[in-house]
Amino acid sequence: MTSSASSGPATSGATAPVATASPPAPRGREGRRLAPAYGLTAPATIFVLLALIGPLALMFRYSLNRFVPGQMMVEALTLDNYARFFADSFYQEVLGTTLWISALSTLLCLVAGFPVAYFLVRQASDKWKGRLLLLIVLPLLMGNAVRTAAWMVILGDKGLFNAVIGAIGISPVKLMYTPTAVVIGLVSVLLPFMIVTLQSVIEGIDANLESAAQSLGASHLTVLRRVVLPLALPGILAGTMLCFILSMNAYATPVLIGGPSFHMMAPTVYQQVAKAMNWPFGAALAFVLMAVTLVLTTTANVLVQRRYRRWSE
Amino acid sequence: MSDVVLQSIVKRYDAMTAVDHVSLTIGEGELVALLGPSGCGKTTTLRMVGGFIPVTEGRILVGGRDLTHLPPNKRNMGFGFQNYALFPHMSVAENVAFGLEMRKLPKAEIGAKVKTALDRVKLSHLAERLPKQLSGGQQQRVALARALVIEPDVLLLDEPLSNLDAQLRHEMKTEIRTLQQQLGITTIFVTHDQDEALSVADRVVLMRAGKIEQQGSPDDLFGRPASRFAAEFMGVTNLLPGELAGVGRFRLASGEEVRVHPVGVGGDLSLALRPERLALDADEPDHNALPAVVDLATYRGLVIDYRVATASGLVLIARRPSPAVGGPAPLKPGQPVRVSWHPDAGTLVPA
Repeated sequence: MTSSASSGPATSGATAPVATASPPAPRGREGRRLAPAYGLTAPATIFVLLALIGPLALMFRYSLNRFVPGQMMVEALTLDNYARFFADSFYQEVLGTTLWISALSTLLCLVAGFPVAYFLVRQASDKWKGRLLLLIVLPLLMGNAVRTAAWMVILGDKGLFNAVIGAIGISPVKLMYTPTAVVIGLVSVLLPFMIVTLQSVIEGIDANLESAAQSLGASHLTVLRRVVLPLALPGILAGTMLCFILSMNAYATPVLIGGPSFHMMAPTVYQQVAKAMNWPFGAALAFVLMAVTLVLTTTANVLVQRRYRRWSE
Repeated sequence: MSDVVLQSIVKRYDAMTAVDHVSLTIGEGELVALLGPSGCGKTTTLRMVGGFIPVTEGRILVGGRDLTHLPPNKRNMGFGFQNYALFPHMSVAENVAFGLEMRKLPKAEIGAKVKTALDRVKLSHLAERLPKQLSGGQQQRVALARALVIEPDVLLLDEPLSNLDAQLRHEMKTEIRTLQQQLGITTIFVTHDQDEALSVADRVVLMRAGKIEQQGSPDDLFGRPASRFAAEFMGVTNLLPGELAGVGRFRLASGEEVRVHPVGVGGDLSLALRPERLALDADEPDHNALPAVVDLATYRGLVIDYRVATASGLVLIARRPSPAVGGPAPLKPGQPVRVSWHPDAGTLVPA
């Protein structure tokens, strides 16, 4: 949608001089040709306005309303809902859990994904690169709930994992309904995003740079630290932000693998809106989640860009 | 400073042999050019010396030390890449300092050495620039400074001039040669350009299909190509197939019999004649001479190339100075000429 909209004016702009230069072209043809081009951007623009900004504005307005049991939402202009979040340590703990689970999952994705992405770029032949990439994104072709259900089968008290370690004489481990299980589930969802993002950036790093560093006396680890990582920084940033945002907003994984006593932000928002019918507070929680995510990712972006800008422009 | 000895090195990929038992000794302080068309194994050979490609068979010795299986970072070699491979996120000075930091030299010493190295390539004033802010020639000089500042035992250059335009290429060629001689550093220079190889090297090694085709001084290769391939690669445009017809006599495939420098070889041969050695109007008694007609004249600035054809269908290229540099008046297509050359001007090579 976006690409067709942006290429529209450019294409007609290039052909317009030809049209005006040829004598038989009727006057005003240029204008008539451009009009549909601009018109083509309208659906995307309207869609963005209606489908993204509209609901956001509406939700924000809701978050300022008052909840009265029995009456549900009562029109008001109050910050009570936000005040409640900051007054109630339960919700702050929920946010805390969401933050550290997301940070840990993202970090694990980075640590596990980087070697895979690097291997794909530098070691795999072209033929295998395509196949392996397909294999890596394959889990994404499956529904989130289905995949999570599979993890429940694997991580359950009598699940596959415990059966396997039981067979070699290790006593069963409680995994299901623990934060560990949630992190495992999240990493399995997010890893493909990290790998694909890193792979495309590492692809752009000239292999000769690594050879040059080596010939100057750098070990593999030093080449990684001094050459590859700094040059892969934009990809690391993009992959990290992507994974972090996705896990901050994760829903199915914490609900199904985390269990009833494990709380992250997105399920809590849902719980407020759909179960407690407290739309104003649910909306306020959603905005707190969005604000925190936005501040963290923007800060990371600014910090990294500051280092990166010097040579990237 | 050390000599480099390649003992019958081989590089095989699955079914393909990229380098096939190459043995070569590069003397201390010598500059050897590995010359050949793409795919001849010259770059693979260089990368094996640098340690970037594992050697399938054979040994590589530097100064008597076997480093066949050492990683690149333990070889103390300077490597110049075709695309320079400067670290884009480091300044010129940081690029040059990199190798010294790896050697854990004290900061002050690094600073001094970087300055000397940049002075040597006349780039001290650009020390704080980033690579992308430099021209191609400047980048090449930074790459050279970076490779030389570590005082390597050997300097390896992979097509160092091919990304530069003609004027700069000439300048850099001179600069590389001057630096190399000043420092007396053993150097291997890979190129596909015969002109580059001839003007820069002490010795030229011509490679073909993973093997050494011929090696010798630039004058050896240019003047006495030992094979049809070598002759073609060294810019000999007239290669006339035929066979020996007695001592000092050679019968061309087109039927003419010409006198040649007597040789002891037999079999299918070609007479290699440089276009510069052919005269079109001289009439010396002891020269070979064939009547022909000018077919095409190509003006090339300093010279004019004439394609001439004999009645028997033999086609030759003759080169004469153009009038601009005092040469004779140009000939017109269709004009009859006598193509002549001294019997010693040609070389017989295996066809």
